[in-house]
Amino acid sequence: MPDLLIEIGVEEIPADVIVPALEQMRVALDEGLTALRLTHGEARVYGTPRRLAAIVADVAERQPDEVKEIKGPPASAAFDAEGKPTKAAAGFAAKNGLSVDQLRVQETDKGAFVFATVTEEGRPAAEVIPGLLEGMMTGFVFPKTLKWGDLEERFARPVRWLVALLGDTVLDWEFARVKAGRTTRGHRFLGSDDVEIASPAAYLETLRAQHVIADHHERREVIRKRAVAAAAAVQGRPRLDEDLLEENNFLVEWPSCLLGGYPERFLELPEAVPVTIMQKHQRYFPVEDAEGRLLPYFVITRNGEGPGEEMIRRGNEKVIVPRLEDGEFYLTEDLKTPLPERLDALKRVTFMESLGTLYDKTERIVRLVAWLAEALDAPAPERETAARAALLSKCDQVTLMVGDGKLAALQGIIGGHYAGLAGEAPEVCAAIAEQYLPIRPDDPAPASPAGKLLALADKLDNLAAAFSLGMIPKGTRDPQGLRRQAQAVLAILQAGDFHLPLCELVGEAVGQVAARFIAPEDDSATAQGATNRATTTAALMDFMAARLDATLQEAGIPYDTVRAVLGGRWSDPVEVINRGHALHRIRGASEEFEGLVDTATRPANIWRSTDLPDEVAVEPGLFEDEAEGTFWAALMAAREEVARLQQDEPVPYEAIWQIVSELRGPIDALFEAVMINAGEPALRNNRLAMMRELDTLYLQLADFREIVQ
Amino acid sequence: MTFQQITKHLDDFWAARGCIIAQPYDVEVGAGTMTPDTFLRALGPEPWNVAYVQGSRRPNDGRYGENPNRMQKYYQYQVILKPSPAGIQETYLDSLCTLGIDPLQHDFRFVEDDWEAPTLGASGVGWEVWLDGMEITQFTYFQKAGGMVCSPVAVELTYGIERLAMYMQDVDHYRDLRWNDTIKFGELRREEERQFSIYNFEVANIDMLWELFRLYEAEVERLLELDLQLPAYDYVLKCSHTFNLLDSRGAVSITERPAMIGRIRNLAAAVAKAHVAQREAMGYPLLQHA
Repeated sequence: MPDLLIEIGVEEIPADVIVPALEQMRVALDEGLTALRLTHGEARVYGTPRRLAAIVADVAERQPDEVKEIKGPPASAAFDAEGKPTKAAAGFAAKNGLSVDQLRVQETDKGAFVFATVTEEGRPAAEVIPGLLEGMMTGFVFPKTLKWGDLEERFARPVRWLVALLGDTVLDWEFARVKAGRTTRGHRFLGSDDVEIASPAAYLETLRAQHVIADHHERREVIRKRAVAAAAAVQGRPRLDEDLLEENNFLVEWPSCLLGGYPERFLELPEAVPVTIMQKHQRYFPVEDAEGRLLPYFVITRNGEGPGEEMIRRGNEKVIVPRLEDGEFYLTEDLKTPLPERLDALKRVTFMESLGTLYDKTERIVRLVAWLAEALDAPAPERETAARAALLSKCDQVTLMVGDGKLAALQGIIGGHYAGLAGEAPEVCAAIAEQYLPIRPDDPAPASPAGKLLALADKLDNLAAAFSLGMIPKGTRDPQGLRRQAQAVLAILQAGDFHLPLCELVGEAVGQVAARFIAPEDDSATAQGATNRATTTAALMDFMAARLDATLQEAGIPYDTVRAVLGGRWSDPVEVINRGHALHRIRGASEEFEGLVDTATRPANIWRSTDLPDEVAVEPGLFEDEAEGTFWAALMAAREEVARLQQDEPVPYEAIWQIVSELRGPIDALFEAVMINAGEPALRNNRLAMMRELDTLYLQLADFREIVQ
Repeated sequence: MTFQQITKHLDDFWAARGCIIAQPYDVEVGAGTMTPDTFLRALGPEPWNVAYVQGSRRPNDGRYGENPNRMQKYYQYQVILKPSPAGIQETYLDSLCTLGIDPLQHDFRFVEDDWEAPTLGASGVGWEVWLDGMEITQFTYFQKAGGMVCSPVAVELTYGIERLAMYMQDVDHYRDLRWNDTIKFGELRREEERQFSIYNFEVANIDMLWELFRLYEAEVERLLELDLQLPAYDYVLKCSHTFNLLDSRGAVSITERPAMIGRIRNLAAAVAKAHVAQREAMGYPLLQHA
């Protein structure tokens, strides 16, 4: 069976869009062919800045014939009293291309009906695949699309050529006035613009001869290898940040690596400055020595190879020097004012429209850090470090290095550096430097205890401020990255093993914002102010709970386990996360899990729908059956044991699970022996109250009603 | 190649591809995009192919003539092609070849950069073009101007010609650029940079500028009522430049900034809308050249 090759030739697509687009392409082809009843092998995808390509192995050349039973009129309407076919029967037969005597009568649960058996002939793959490709092109989801020329179609960048080959046959397909063919283009400068592909199998090698490595996995490894080789010339090694490696990978089709350098004096800058300029502004790999110290070199990824290396190296060196000089200039200027003396300048910088200045924000962070330290019972030196770091945390915002914009990503890091130069304690500097961590989902949380407190306070204040102003993320709109910040809060709590009630944490942050900056009529002293504050706190709590849910699911825990864990009683996010992981392990390991879920949902199903008054307590004097006494004693013992285990650190959830599992015997015996819904009200309430107590115990682990069996 | 040879080569190149070679606009603009030949002509269905050099003023970027590549006035070479033709990337690269830049000896990249001009309500999708790591051109498919959707889509190429020339002449400071075979850039422009940097940062009369801003803004509105879009647009440009001067004097607080930008954007959008209506009323005269 032939292979299918699809190549979408485009003007350079943004690097970060290519991998998601390839995955969409793979799924669209794989599922689309299946929907077309075309058997096929694996779909492989290949991407460069100028092409999105897929090869599907062994595609059936023709759809199989499909036999369909088509239901027609009732038999009573199709045949008259003498059994002769009516007009209705003739019409139905004709519509399906049959003669009347080819119709069948068959009994259904709605009576006898006439049926036509029709064989729909399968169509050649080459005829039906173009329809699938049209759907694929309009189905791509890109972060941003454009229109070009006088066309109506949209894509991530203008589409310039299309290749669609089934074996050696060109498919009849067109998009945005580009007709598919077998002609692709090679490398922009080293290849030809007119390259015929004989068959899908020849795709990768045909392009290689045209100086294009289409396979992005292969290309990435080529860059890695060549970057290492380039840096070795100065006994260095490249810092190969994986994201940057991937970005470079999708900026080139035929990579080679060159080594460039800059004057050694720039190594006196805080390391983050040259590193950021190299990585973020110029997409270079910085070079370091065997001890990880920066060397005054960088690796350039070139799209091509051959003559011109010296010119390219010099060109790149010429670009980076003025940028480094900017950094040098900022540093010299900034050092004229020691960091702590910049506090007053924060009073002139607005923070989020009506929420005062960065100075006001600093004051809030200082208070929030103190509150956190108190709540976590932090030792005195740690409190002092965190308090000082909090006070100086935003001072770098009014330095040239951060404030000028081009190096704004260095906020915090620069503050830490300047604090050190101003004679602050190393712990204070470290905390300032770490305050924005984790920035990306896989970043570590701040390492120092004070850094964790400061980072928590900063993020909680951002969240509380945004929510107080009603800036709540909806759908995909989250311009301030609040979801990321909320998830960072959870990550820090987890990293620090900080056990705090979420509602108090959120309430404190919202209260700090409300205390001064909400309009006078909303003042917290008034009833209206209290209501607003409660609404904001509740909205932020919901938001955090949703992030907790996302955090657990991203950790690979199935959604129903997550819901069960969040459905139980909780206040401490770290405890919930730990419990979620534990329950996931238990569910995977225990064969009795399903049985226990059945048992555990029974008390909930029985009592939660009743109007059992809160004040009803279990009264052993009302027990009628021995099984009730046995059950109650077992429950009391289990409850006591669970409460004891919950004090352990870490909480041994497996042991708790064991204890509640062992209740199964007494529970089964109880259900065997008595009716919970007894006729006599006092008796019934007593038994319902037992169910409530049992449910409450299960809820220490999860609300098992959420588990989908 | 001297600075003036570069612009001449580009003129010849784009003239041969059907572009009108226009002359620079005579009101201060921050970029070639802001001149009527781009901002207004990019709207509506009429075809439009034009190339021109535009002196552009960014008061904040002045460095008293001392910084190697930052100036408060610099030149852009601006090309607009509407509708954007297929193969425009290759044509653009050809234009560099005619300047003697051999792509086989250099490293070219098209690096994602979606351009946006908040004061014009304009945005597009495209790239920075890098030559050996240096941004030499902004390459943009216009999607919106004055808040209105561009259809058909124009492509805009903005060459930073000082940078290109510094690269081609292998000099490290703008002052050393050869304008022609005898005169250097610095001889022509350094004193200008010094004086304007002093003016922009230190002595521009803030009260007068605020007053002018209000007067210009009112004039736009008055002229629009009189159905005189083109004079009105001149006053939008004057508002924009006045705002930039106030900004470089540090007279615009962070809180005021977005509001000021919003005011200019509203003016630009109103003019753009009136201009499109006017062209429609005229029956889109340039359509006959489509």
